[in-house]
Amino acid sequence: MTRIHHALAIIAAVLGLAAGAADVAAGGRRAVDVTQLASEIEAERDHVTAPELAERIMRQDSSLRVIDLRSRAEYDALHIPTATVTTLEDLARATFEAHASIVVYSEGGTHSAQAWMLLRLRGYRDVRFLREGIYEWLSRVMEPRLAIDATATERAEFARAEVHSRFFGGLPRSSVPRAEVPTGYWTNERAGAHLAMQGGPAASTQQAVARIRRRGC
Amino acid sequence: MSGPFAETGVIGPLGALLSAPFIGFAFGWFLERGGLGSARKLAGQFYLTDLAVFKVMFSALLTAMLGAFWLDKLGLLDLSLVYLPETFVLPQAVGGALFGAGFLVAGLCPGTSCVAAAAGRLDGVGVIGGMFAGVVLFNLGFDWIAGFYNSTPLGAVTLTDLAGVPRGAGVAVVTALALAGFVVAARIDRARR
Repeated sequence: MTRIHHALAIIAAVLGLAAGAADVAAGGRRAVDVTQLASEIEAERDHVTAPELAERIMRQDSSLRVIDLRSRAEYDALHIPTATVTTLEDLARATFEAHASIVVYSEGGTHSAQAWMLLRLRGYRDVRFLREGIYEWLSRVMEPRLAIDATATERAEFARAEVHSRFFGGLPRSSVPRAEVPTGYWTNERAGAHLAMQGGPAASTQQAVARIRRRGC
Repeated sequence: MSGPFAETGVIGPLGALLSAPFIGFAFGWFLERGGLGSARKLAGQFYLTDLAVFKVMFSALLTAMLGAFWLDKLGLLDLSLVYLPETFVLPQAVGGALFGAGFLVAGLCPGTSCVAAAAGRLDGVGVIGGMFAGVVLFNLGFDWIAGFYNSTPLGAVTLTDLAGVPRGAGVAVVTALALAGFVVAARIDRARR
């Protein structure tokens, strides 16, 4: 062994021991890296869009676990295919395979964001939520809509959305007034906003589902 | 600016594609310079007559592990964006044993066979041919072994995840094991001279 070998070995030993000391001193057990969680949220790696979820369900992704956090009645009325219903409290105790890719959704985004944090704190790595909950699914997958004066990009997105919609038995709508396609609809920022607001702020998912079903008939 | 550059958008997909040949060239260059283009040298690892493979591989492993850990700690690399392959215990154990047997018979692994072929060695070309034949056979027979291929999944886990210990503790243990291994390898080398 040359001098260089000795020097490199000493550097490796120092860095290795410091690595152990740094992490053990940080809590003695696997501490949750809050900075990492924050960076995941900042980089928007905490949520999945409804079309992305639709594609994963369509290709029968075996690692996917979809969790519905709404009430049993709302779940029975309509839920995302393959989803299982549970409460936030039960979710705190539920166990999943280590490799499971978990997607949680509720009526809006609040409960599912809380569930995301809960599951990430429990050590599950691949967890996402639907930002606008079931409304986003209804709006972007079950009933995608294209404004009468749509741009070429919107038309291309709509063509993709039509495939999802037909697969899940939805009803794509084209040539709707621009007012029915809120700003941010195609960028998934406010995809379900119009559905959530149609019956007033207290509108329930069941009302939204009923409205869609009436239109479908 | 933090890595991985392809994932964080610093270089984008085209940049990643263009940088791949340079990284591949450097990989091959250092393998060749480390003497790993020689089948005799590689087979010597199995008979404990030449521990170059152990020393090269563990040096690379140690450098990458310490670099990744500390770059992540310093905020220069987001480890959550680094691809972590999924673990399938039984198929990977059988695959590993097969790989090892092939390694022993041929004296080369996939990377070093390319290095050997590039250096003009015919055995390297033969191993590359065998490797592609294996890839074709595997794909043709995939339906037969798909059940086994997907069995005993553990997900994208690390040893520290499984042990429930901090990542840094795992880094410290692997560093200690590697350094102890280097000392033992040096003693074996000295004893054989």
